[in-house]
Amino acid sequence: MSNNWEMVIGLEVHAQLKTSSKLFSSSPNQFGSEPNENVNFIDSGMPGMLPVMNFGCIEMAIKTGYALNFKINKHSVFERKNYFYPDLPQGYQISQFEFPILSEGYINIESGDNQKKIRIERAHLEQDAGKSIHDIDPKYSFIDLNRVGTPLLEIVSYPDLSSADEVINYISSLRQLLMYIDVCDGNMQEGSLRADVNLSVRKKGQELGTRCEIKNLNSFKFIKQAIEYEFQRQINIIDSGGEIEQNTMLFDTSTGETRAMRSKEFSHDYRYFPDPDLLPVNLSQEQIDKIKPLVGELPQDKLNKYLDNYSLDKDIAKIIIAEKQNANLFEKMISESTVKPKLIAAWLVGDIFAFIKENNLEVDSLNDKTKDITDLLRLISDDVISNKAGKEILPKVLNGEGKPSELVKELGLEQVSDSGELEKIIDEALVGEEENILKFQGGSDRVLGYFVGKCLKATKGKGNPKLINKILLERLKK
Amino acid sequence: MSDIDIKRISYLAKLKLPSEKEEFYSISLKDIIKWVDNLKKVDTSKTEPLHNVTEKTVSIRNDEVSKSNSVDDVLSNAPERAQNFFKVPKVVE
Repeated sequence: MSNNWEMVIGLEVHAQLKTSSKLFSSSPNQFGSEPNENVNFIDSGMPGMLPVMNFGCIEMAIKTGYALNFKINKHSVFERKNYFYPDLPQGYQISQFEFPILSEGYINIESGDNQKKIRIERAHLEQDAGKSIHDIDPKYSFIDLNRVGTPLLEIVSYPDLSSADEVINYISSLRQLLMYIDVCDGNMQEGSLRADVNLSVRKKGQELGTRCEIKNLNSFKFIKQAIEYEFQRQINIIDSGGEIEQNTMLFDTSTGETRAMRSKEFSHDYRYFPDPDLLPVNLSQEQIDKIKPLVGELPQDKLNKYLDNYSLDKDIAKIIIAEKQNANLFEKMISESTVKPKLIAAWLVGDIFAFIKENNLEVDSLNDKTKDITDLLRLISDDVISNKAGKEILPKVLNGEGKPSELVKELGLEQVSDSGELEKIIDEALVGEEENILKFQGGSDRVLGYFVGKCLKATKGKGNPKLINKILLERLKK
Repeated sequence: MSDIDIKRISYLAKLKLPSEKEEFYSISLKDIIKWVDNLKKVDTSKTEPLHNVTEKTVSIRNDEVSKSNSVDDVLSNAPERAQNFFKVPKVVE
């Protein structure tokens, strides 16, 4: 039984930085190009070519430093991590080892109903490798070096995570933050964000066990599956009297199992040493300070603002801050209109997101529709049209079929808010209802609903329900 | 001084070493290390590690793209190519 076992997990998250060019060369940093299109002689490891540091990567690392509460190191050093693989033409990866650019950070994640602080040991800049394609030819591997030299920030947590759900929350929070500060596009499918999971098991309260590392997971689903499988695998080994061998594992997405990578004759020895082609990075406090204002508002800042200034419900506020583009759209509508933020928020997470989902759109694509949306919401809050009419018009507004006020006229959806007219209709509706009126006066509230319905029907659904309610109450109390 | 694991070293260096040469290279490497070990005689307890002999910092460039060559240039030295890929003996890990 796994009841008295617990898992201890530390994560290495690789985030591709969304610079225009690569870490040490001017080739485009771009996904989805033709094979070897974005490769120059530095990337392909030609002899005599020298790497030149892209300052954009340092800026993004510093921004990340602020967002993840890191100590930003003025002094950091690039080293060579030596290993042989065909998609690594230099024969080594340039990375940071002893002196990373960021150290000792943390983020807070949700764990059940509580917040949990996850400490982050370090984050360092390094090069991504190319891609090997093994399934075109039985005897040969095909190599595409486009990804070689793409800047990565490797973010290494302490083993502070203790469930698959915490891991997912941690990675989601990281992803959200990196996207907010605009350093990573967060596209896990394209490999912009990948995680290595280090997992060990122990009986509750006991010393740490031997860990295994599951490499290169790039979806939340697979991360969860891999963790659950590996947890059980390790428990089974120990329960049957075995010992965990420290190993690097691969997760097989087709079987849902982890397995050890082809065991090597000898253990890895990366023989790190400072790269003689690259001098140390020495930053001034001024250079670091200059980047702080570029960090902008973080999700937690926005959440507080939405709760305190706009009085949104927490659940709704959380949906809006989940993605930066949601928050941008929301704030644009607030800045452009006097409609209450609460009403905007309700429509955004309701009918507007439903429309986006239904039509497979990007949230950003509605940025030029914000004025029309808030005009429509203004008509609702001014009681010119009913909520129901608003729902009917919204898709037409979002499809660009017309301005809200024109559509209201065209479709005859204007609400009857003329009390004289409504009084007349109500009086007619009450004729012959003496029995029901007595029932109401005797305390049966249900009858009120019946009357409202009857009057609305008489207005063909266009009567202002609030006003009808009010007039009805006056009449019935007499 | 620790022993030389000549099999491991040749593996890491991707060099094929005939077994009759193993002893010769073990001894040679041991001699080299012994000689380098002379450095241990220097007292460095009060010396900061030096990562580079110049005091300078890394030279930087702005984040701008420039393309200096074509795909064909990059593939022109490849022993074998298939379309625009490098074609290499299968290495699966």
